[in-house]
Amino acid sequence: MTTLHNTSTHSRPIPNPAKSLITKLNMGTGTVVGILFALGAYYALRPAADAANFYNQQNKALLAGMFAWSIGFLVGIGAFIGPFRWLIGKDLTAEEQLYLAGDGQGIKRYFKYCTDHKVVGIQYLVGVMAMLGVGGTMAMMIRTSLAIPGGHFVGATIYNSLVGLHGITMIIAMIIVATGPFGNYIMPIMIGARDMAFPRLNALSWWVLFTAIPVLCSAWFLGGIPTGWTAYAPLSVQAGPGMNAFIATIIIFAFSTAVAGMNITATVVAMRAKGMKWNRVPIFVIGATMSVALAIPAFPTFMLAMVQTATDRVFNTGFYDANVGGSGWLYAHLFWIMGHPEVYVILLPGVAILMEIAPVFVRKPLFSFNAAVMGFAGIAGLSVLVWAHHMYISGWTPTLNGPFMVTTEMISVPTGLLFLVLLGTIWRGKPWMKLPMLALFAVIWNLLIGGITGIYLSDVPADNYLHGSMYVTAHFHYTLMGAALTGAVAGLAYWFPKMTGRMLNERAGYISFWFTQIGFQILFLGMFIAGAEGQPRRVVSFAAMYKYQNMISTGGAYLVGTGFIILLWAVIHSWRKGDIAPQNPWGAKTLEWTVPYPVPLENFDELPVITSDPYGYGKGN
Amino acid sequence: MSNHDEPDLKPTPGARATALLKRPDVARTAVFTIIWTAIFVVLGLVFYPKWMPTIMSTDMKAMERIMVAFTVISAPIAGLVMGIATQAVTNRHKGDTPPPDGPAIRTNGPVVVVWSLVSGIFALVAVVWGIAELNTMANAATTDAKEAIHVQVIGSQWVWSFKYVDQGVESDKLILPIDRPVEFDVTSEDVNHSFWPVQLGVKVDANKLQTTTVHTVPNKLGAIDVKCAELCGLYHAYMETSGEVVTEDNFKNWVTANGGHNA
Repeated sequence: MTTLHNTSTHSRPIPNPAKSLITKLNMGTGTVVGILFALGAYYALRPAADAANFYNQQNKALLAGMFAWSIGFLVGIGAFIGPFRWLIGKDLTAEEQLYLAGDGQGIKRYFKYCTDHKVVGIQYLVGVMAMLGVGGTMAMMIRTSLAIPGGHFVGATIYNSLVGLHGITMIIAMIIVATGPFGNYIMPIMIGARDMAFPRLNALSWWVLFTAIPVLCSAWFLGGIPTGWTAYAPLSVQAGPGMNAFIATIIIFAFSTAVAGMNITATVVAMRAKGMKWNRVPIFVIGATMSVALAIPAFPTFMLAMVQTATDRVFNTGFYDANVGGSGWLYAHLFWIMGHPEVYVILLPGVAILMEIAPVFVRKPLFSFNAAVMGFAGIAGLSVLVWAHHMYISGWTPTLNGPFMVTTEMISVPTGLLFLVLLGTIWRGKPWMKLPMLALFAVIWNLLIGGITGIYLSDVPADNYLHGSMYVTAHFHYTLMGAALTGAVAGLAYWFPKMTGRMLNERAGYISFWFTQIGFQILFLGMFIAGAEGQPRRVVSFAAMYKYQNMISTGGAYLVGTGFIILLWAVIHSWRKGDIAPQNPWGAKTLEWTVPYPVPLENFDELPVITSDPYGYGKGN
Repeated sequence: MSNHDEPDLKPTPGARATALLKRPDVARTAVFTIIWTAIFVVLGLVFYPKWMPTIMSTDMKAMERIMVAFTVISAPIAGLVMGIATQAVTNRHKGDTPPPDGPAIRTNGPVVVVWSLVSGIFALVAVVWGIAELNTMANAATTDAKEAIHVQVIGSQWVWSFKYVDQGVESDKLILPIDRPVEFDVTSEDVNHSFWPVQLGVKVDANKLQTTTVHTVPNKLGAIDVKCAELCGLYHAYMETSGEVVTEDNFKNWVTANGGHNA
């Protein structure tokens, strides 16, 4: 990207508003206040052991405790100091605001309510890696349990909980895996902004999300969840106390996504550098913005579905209870109206990262920026009209299966455009086989398999057979893990030098890549076959005829697990001791590579002025 | 970019196609495309039929036809995608410095249009095929309605039971006569279940206080596995039973032996 100004750094005095309360608040005070709030709410509402409606009362007390924890934590970390001052007609002082930006506070600022988008980006990165680690560990336990027929490794209760909590942990992690770390750390720099549009909301989005993590973990200590991550009613209404943790997690997470989504969208719409017209915006920014903008209307329906589940459980409202005129189909609709846009919320940023990477590593312009934008927009637009393809066999109005089949299969056209952009960009180029580029080839294969199997599933007669089988599980893992997660790993390898100042260990990166990708193919090939042969998903035990397929799957899963452990080692080792990275190791032309490491507070001394798009590679350009 | 020193002679489309195919990268891409296409076709024609369970109904046959046909139809597109990717991998650049600049291709209008059209046509084929199959299934359900036997399927945590309404028989095994249409009226006593007689290729959810219907015609003698395809709580995995498609005579005998009456 052409810029008219260079940037340089100069040191600022470190602000120290010693008397202000905000200097004393951090994650520790947040945790203490949060626990006090939680215990207060729980014990205030706790039912007597012989109370009538004991389970309703217990659900109420637990939910109140969980929400009180979240609010208490935010009080304790100082999230409400600014809004409180507004109520009395004041605001934070300039010095306090500068203190909140965390400049010069070293590692402490990562544990504070810090408004710097780069700090929030790192918080998200570490948080996402932790969640992927937990979700991955649960996946390993699931596969270990399925290694042999009969399910002797864990019992049915634990197995069902593992399936559901693996699902929701991974879904949450995957929703934020690209837009969290890279959308916060890199994107504002990419568009030439000094920070996000609403830095305090940015900090809020992370810490709200953070409060959801202990709530989700508490499900284990409350007996787990029996429902899978889809949490279908009426099963979820009759489920035990662990279900409250699931409900509270979703409601808290929906707040976080709404705040983050609006903030990122506002930043991209309003804060772009001078001259950065829409056709000069880097494609990652376009894809990530469409993803978060799609999440803004999607998640409230999930939140609503969970609020209704909660009121069914606490007040017997019967939204989903057929006995009193409710319907489980209502839940399924609300869930999938979120659920299908959600998979594209996950997929779009992953593909957008690869589109950002491809021109840099083949030294050619992005092939057809317009096709890329149309592809993203087409997917985002169609994805809100396809939800009932998850309900073909639910028995709900079979006459509408035809229309939903049409909308679903139309998605293959904009998806085809995304393929065209990637293939057109590498066409006639010499791809530089660094880790990000290797990942691009893996994603082409994985998304192709995931996409084509999706076309079978979108066809009603085929879905009549395949729905609810392991085939579906394999299909969506190809799109979400094979494509979106691999894309995010490519982004990590690509932006690691900018986010940590060091290069990601190349050898370990390659070894991890081959372990995860080869293991992945073995793992889900076995699952495709078992599914085509008729093995249902989410089963703790299966017939002997699926023995070898499942054994193969489990073997593949261990390879994937090994690969991710190696990647984790590479990230930790490289972050501490890796080779110092040059300012622009890949020779890229987007703005984030024009600033040094550590990126100064507010990023640019003088804001850049943009005169072309960032893809001016190639002869004659 | 045109060169003004030379006369502006445009090559004919045929000559351009020939020149294109002579380019080594294009030729390599074509070879890889053919290889990948062949792999996907073999996958569709050989492996899918191999993985599918015994086909015991028209619906299962329709389902297998879709899997095979879609794989074969999409094989050239998937083959081209993998062909281009494989060609790029063979042309890779190693080392610690970026590769030399490639040609500055910003876009190619005809390619974008043709690509969109082809994926649009593919989607259209899939849609039309699917709707035609849906139509066939709906028509069959209507025309068969009179002669169909009605089986009420009741799912409860965690067992299936079957009521043969016209015959007055209750059973925990699904016994069906061959070549006679059957209508399953499915319901649940508690949470959602999903009724899946695997070899018959149909499936429908069981909902409390609702009756959902699915129709098929068993056309092969043999055993059926009945499973639950919707997570329904603790023993979801064990919510299965067996069944059998039997001859008309054997079915009548089975009905009589179980205290029912043959209509």
